[in-house]
Amino acid sequence: MFAILGTMGLVSLYFLAIGVPIEKYAEAGYSFLLLLTGSTDFSMAHPGYSASAIIMSGAGITLPLAIISLVILVLIALSCAAISTTTEYLEKKHGNKIIPKFLVFGKSISILLAAIPLFVGFWVFGESYGNNAPFLLIAFITITLGGLGWDASRFLLTDMHRQMGTTHTMVFSTLGLPLGRLFPLPGTFSGYLLSSSFPRFIPYLAGKVPAIIGGVTIAEIIFSFPGLGSTLLDALLVRNTDLLIASVFILLCVNAIVTFAVKTVLFFLYPRLYEKAI
Amino acid sequence: MKKPFNYLKNFCIFLLVSPFLAVWVPSILDGLLTDLTPAYRSSLVLSFQQLSITLLATLLFAASITLTLGYISILWSIIGKIIASVLEAIESVPAILIVLFSYAPVSGYLASHSEASSSVVSLMIFVFAATLTILPESIRGITLPLGELYYQKYSLSFRSYGFRRRKILAVLMGTDVMRHAFKRIAAGILLKILVLDCSFGFIIQLGFGSYGTPAHASPGALIAANRDALFQGGSPLLFWLPVLPLVMISIAFLLILTNSKENEI
Repeated sequence: MFAILGTMGLVSLYFLAIGVPIEKYAEAGYSFLLLLTGSTDFSMAHPGYSASAIIMSGAGITLPLAIISLVILVLIALSCAAISTTTEYLEKKHGNKIIPKFLVFGKSISILLAAIPLFVGFWVFGESYGNNAPFLLIAFITITLGGLGWDASRFLLTDMHRQMGTTHTMVFSTLGLPLGRLFPLPGTFSGYLLSSSFPRFIPYLAGKVPAIIGGVTIAEIIFSFPGLGSTLLDALLVRNTDLLIASVFILLCVNAIVTFAVKTVLFFLYPRLYEKAI
Repeated sequence: MKKPFNYLKNFCIFLLVSPFLAVWVPSILDGLLTDLTPAYRSSLVLSFQQLSITLLATLLFAASITLTLGYISILWSIIGKIIASVLEAIESVPAILIVLFSYAPVSGYLASHSEASSSVVSLMIFVFAATLTILPESIRGITLPLGELYYQKYSLSFRSYGFRRRKILAVLMGTDVMRHAFKRIAAGILLKILVLDCSFGFIIQLGFGSYGTPAHASPGALIAANRDALFQGGSPLLFWLPVLPLVMISIAFLLILTNSKENEI
């Protein structure tokens, strides 16, 4: 519903702004209906674009790239937060001064990576790989450069820090369980902190899905992948309204699917908090 | 010990944003970059001049709307809920898509009018589109701490003195917590606009060439125009020269954000 209404809203505003005649609205609406029903040749004004080709460009390129990026984002945020919180715990409780220096170095590197523009990273890697860049590498760049990974790590770290001062965490730390220094596995100190922060982290992730899709779109344009980003730019180049509508719709669908997946995780893990989050 | 460290940190931040100062005071760059062609040199200076104007204009516009809507959201909770729903819908659309759609209707106007007028219109469109993409997060940045202060900490004691909600919120807006929040929001807004402006400039230059909109110059477009400099036979300096100040400026904003988040802890 979000994708359908969002597409209709955006396209109506676009038509209103460029002042197209009323018949154009009806034509675009009919093309959109053909797309929704999966018609082979949905565009009446510009024949040759099939609904399945555009859906495949979203399902085959944009969706997997977005999901891999999301998984990498989660892994990076969890790992950084675990390393940082356990290091500070060791510093406070055992006076360990050496590891925090590595932590400062790591934080500086993460800031430096976040400051490098995403498109610069894509272009530099694109020079080496051309159009054959592996998805995993593209997803990794999408997250590490441009600040997405940095922001997610900071968010989780700030939240886990708040939990560190609470009485229940102090009691948990006396149980003698492992710290979980590299990854917050269940049954570890960092895993315990994460279990308290997770209900806030999942909605945060759902909110970051559009930013991930935006990054993936830029990657598709730079690497000339036949994904939705390139289709969208092509549509703007040749002023093909039907193709524009189709690309926006599929892009919003991908966005909605990934957000739905993230919120489903929240629903199954924390049903009561899910209600608050939506 | 903390004060000298803070002075040092502020000095570093000043150094990192100094490219903006350098492009507005031509005498600073006089002895530098002499090996470059005059056309490239002027494009470099112009792109960073326009970036500074874009950042300042968007910051002022977005910050004023953020403050107003953030204050109203807490003052009248029903309006706050409506604003939150609208902003959530906006946030669900990727920022780059919002900017592309904002430019699409005016591309004809920008192409057919003089450089000066199309540059102003292009800047206005960008400020509008960028503000739209920034608002959800920046308003949350105001309403969360302000709401927490109002509902959990001071409201009861203020109310017991007979203060009205409007007066209480005005007092709370001036607290240290809110000042840190404003600083964090400003740095966040600047960072996002920087990223959006340059990414958009790069993509448009890549897709449409120099005739594409936006009509205002951007370091991203300059980088894209010299992207082939990285290939064999090219001069990589042309590619990396605009990237370096961009990274420096981004680091400055990230340092401000990191500092504010540590204060939040």
